[in-house]
Amino acid sequence: MDDRLDFEIEDPLLTSPVVAKKRKKVIGLDDLLTDFYKEKNKLVEKEAKKAKALKNYHSDEEEDIKEASLSKLVDECQNQITEIDADEDSFVWGMQVFGDQKSPPPLVCPELKSCGLLQSFMSNKLNSLVELSTENGNSFLEGLLVDGWLSKLAFTCGHVEESVLIWTFNLMLYSPKEELRISACDFWCAILSSKEEDDLQPVKITWIPSYAELKGALEVYGFLFNFLPHPDATLTDSGREGPAQNIRAWIKFVTVSCHVRSKLSMFSTSDAAELVEVIICLFLDRKLQGLMLLLYDCMQSVINYFKDKEWKACCEEIAKSVACRVPKDLNCLRIVECISGVDTRSKQLRSAVAYQILLSCFDYKVADEEILRLLISINVKEKGCDLVKMYIYLVLTENWLCSNELLADKPVLNEMWNLYLRNCSCLIASTDLRPFASKVRNKASYFLQGSIQT
Amino acid sequence: MAICDRRKTINRGALEENILAIIDASEAKDSQDAHDDRIAFLEAVRATSIVSESRTQPSYKICQAVFKILRIEKSLELIITSYQLLNELDKCFPRVYLSGIDQLESTNKHMTELVVVKEAWSPFIFSLEIASSERGAAKDAEGLLDSSGFLILIQYLADVADENTFQSCDTKSLGKMLLFQYLVNILEGDFIPRKTMYEETTNWILLRESLLNMLLVSRKINFKSLMKDCLTIMCKLYQICIGFSDDVVCPDNSVSKSTKKCDVAVEITSLEVGKNTSIAVRKLLNMIMELDTCKNKADAQGCTTRADGVRTPLVEIILDELTYNNDILQPFLQVFDDPKLKLEVVEQYFWKYISKPSVRTRRSNGSADDTTFIGALKCFSNVTSTRSIIKKIGTEEAQLLLVHGFQAYLSVPSRQYPDEDNSHGNPESRSSSVIDICKNMISAFKSLRTAAEHMEILLCSKEALFMAATILSVNS
Repeated sequence: MDDRLDFEIEDPLLTSPVVAKKRKKVIGLDDLLTDFYKEKNKLVEKEAKKAKALKNYHSDEEEDIKEASLSKLVDECQNQITEIDADEDSFVWGMQVFGDQKSPPPLVCPELKSCGLLQSFMSNKLNSLVELSTENGNSFLEGLLVDGWLSKLAFTCGHVEESVLIWTFNLMLYSPKEELRISACDFWCAILSSKEEDDLQPVKITWIPSYAELKGALEVYGFLFNFLPHPDATLTDSGREGPAQNIRAWIKFVTVSCHVRSKLSMFSTSDAAELVEVIICLFLDRKLQGLMLLLYDCMQSVINYFKDKEWKACCEEIAKSVACRVPKDLNCLRIVECISGVDTRSKQLRSAVAYQILLSCFDYKVADEEILRLLISINVKEKGCDLVKMYIYLVLTENWLCSNELLADKPVLNEMWNLYLRNCSCLIASTDLRPFASKVRNKASYFLQGSIQT
Repeated sequence: MAICDRRKTINRGALEENILAIIDASEAKDSQDAHDDRIAFLEAVRATSIVSESRTQPSYKICQAVFKILRIEKSLELIITSYQLLNELDKCFPRVYLSGIDQLESTNKHMTELVVVKEAWSPFIFSLEIASSERGAAKDAEGLLDSSGFLILIQYLADVADENTFQSCDTKSLGKMLLFQYLVNILEGDFIPRKTMYEETTNWILLRESLLNMLLVSRKINFKSLMKDCLTIMCKLYQICIGFSDDVVCPDNSVSKSTKKCDVAVEITSLEVGKNTSIAVRKLLNMIMELDTCKNKADAQGCTTRADGVRTPLVEIILDELTYNNDILQPFLQVFDDPKLKLEVVEQYFWKYISKPSVRTRRSNGSADDTTFIGALKCFSNVTSTRSIIKKIGTEEAQLLLVHGFQAYLSVPSRQYPDEDNSHGNPESRSSSVIDICKNMISAFKSLRTAAEHMEILLCSKEALFMAATILSVNS
């Protein structure tokens, strides 16, 4: 008897109450605020004009005082507006990940004398056409690199000289010329991944860059291993603020070098763990948001660098260390969302990072179910309740529980989770004007809808 | 069971409406809130369709909404996120793919089948019928591209690919470039499985129905000018990106320091996106050339009909453009680096100008392989014929063609190379032919030098000669 009829089930109004609810949202907090300040501004301007106009006719002391008080009012208003702007700014993710760039090491071109490749050619009869000499050796080498011959030479000879390897590696990381750094990056990617193709003979790489070198490059770009809280905090005027454009080559190189672990193990486990952290930090720089695709690939590649038995411990370690560093604002949500979640490992990492950040939010005083219990006990109706924090907890908890199939294993957790969601979605009125009230409510009811259906 | 199934689809419908509701309220606004909502929407789509263990294919409306964000938004974050999501969705839910069916285990015969998901959303729309069958409403088709829409996009990009415009590149042009890259990815995802299948079955209809073919046969576009624009974009964008240097731009930067923070993000992105756009155009041209080859084959077998229409093969357009617009010869050869196709262009360019032996003598000689690159190289073996060639082609052009032909020849994997007389991929014969080529290269330049004494030998020629000499010394 309780079963609804077929047509009732199909009624979209019955199955998705959220849609109807959401549409009721008439005026957002932002609109009200902007309207309010617009009006206030207008009023102030009008007053100021009036005062000016008056001043033309009277010049008593009284007017001066009036003017002073008015201009004071204007100043106050201005300050308030900038304050509010600043407040809004803090609801946008973004960190100062790079400080001032340092001067890069000099790019030393291999001496013609030490470069056997060029040296042996000097005595060739053909040199009457090529006209290779000690003077033009540098530009000739650069030409070979840019036009793609250098990798072909490597495959032909089956090895690359150390001096050439170091030279190209430094060009990739430090050259200000796009052409050179891109070609050098392509060259390294070619010789590193060459071993996977059957057609070409493997290239013997006599010099392998270490993690320290990559880390050094980051330092030159101005990477702050302990980054600053807000992008505007120390906006330098030196015009040397990092990162250099070479960061793209850096990211690509890391991606490729992690792919080839089976052939060439370049990083230790702890190096790789640090790399994951560095990449997560890079996601926080708004200047790099356009490189998201490169960063995604890179992260995926580094995560898969670990061997299975190393992964579990490392995943936890990375999560703990990230949680300590990141400020507990919208930036920590950005961090969780930048972990792609396309495969098992990145799902695990996503869940672990979200969980560790939650733990550190509560100063490691509670764990597991207690977190949920604590969250449920927060009264969202109370005026002093920080809804921004609530929003962050909500998204973090969802990622902790849902990216890792935890809910399926523990029905208790599932029930508590649903209760928490109901708290957030039902106890906050749609007319609540506190910042983030509508965001918390909408997000919770969206999650709730999803968790009921599955 | 039936009820259960129905409930599932209803749930999916509700889920979809929930996801769409996230952006519903903020449809027209341009505030931070609206921006947040759109980001939340993209996150939600990603969560249900890609991250979730039970990936659900996003509905038509959702795809449409994501695509709309890529098309019209101005925020870098939204553009990049939607572009990334669209590509991820494409990977998870391909529209066309090959599926292997083990027909009979005993015969160990592997049958592949081309699967086309007809009802899947696509950013292309080529006929009104498709529009009406999909949910009817004309509004749904909004923003989808037909051939003329594609043409307009290309023309826009041709304007962006100008040095001055590109330096003041904004998020709008970045968005258009990413849109183009996405469209090329879609065309590629549709074309490659079809071509693989065509090679197995020689069923031309598979390729006739490919998005690429439908895009190009339309009468709404002028194919020739479209391809010319593509060539311009490919070469210019490449040159602009490659020519970039930090030192040069810095002083310019300090003038407009006020908008610095945002500019840096766009600047870092624009080089990457610009370069990738150039690569995407190259991919498009490669596909069209391969389509041309297949069509020629189908023509010869009598599989095409009048409905297929006549289109100038792309190689001819490229050759015309390279001949009359001399400036792009060098960048074109540098960018267009699929070795097989590059070799084809170089060969055709040479043989357009080298006077071929008369038909009679060629027949009597019985050698039909003369129009290859090797054949062209042989024409440079003596001074007289070299002189006659550089009279027509010019010394600089001849050098460029020789160098890039040589490079392409070395890069063609031995497997792929259509051998004249020996078995495929025989490593020994391959290396002996490489040695021959190197010797011929060197002698070609020697005769060039004799034929034109004051000729300046280009840096790239010197590099190629160096390469040839190194190969010879390694193999000696």
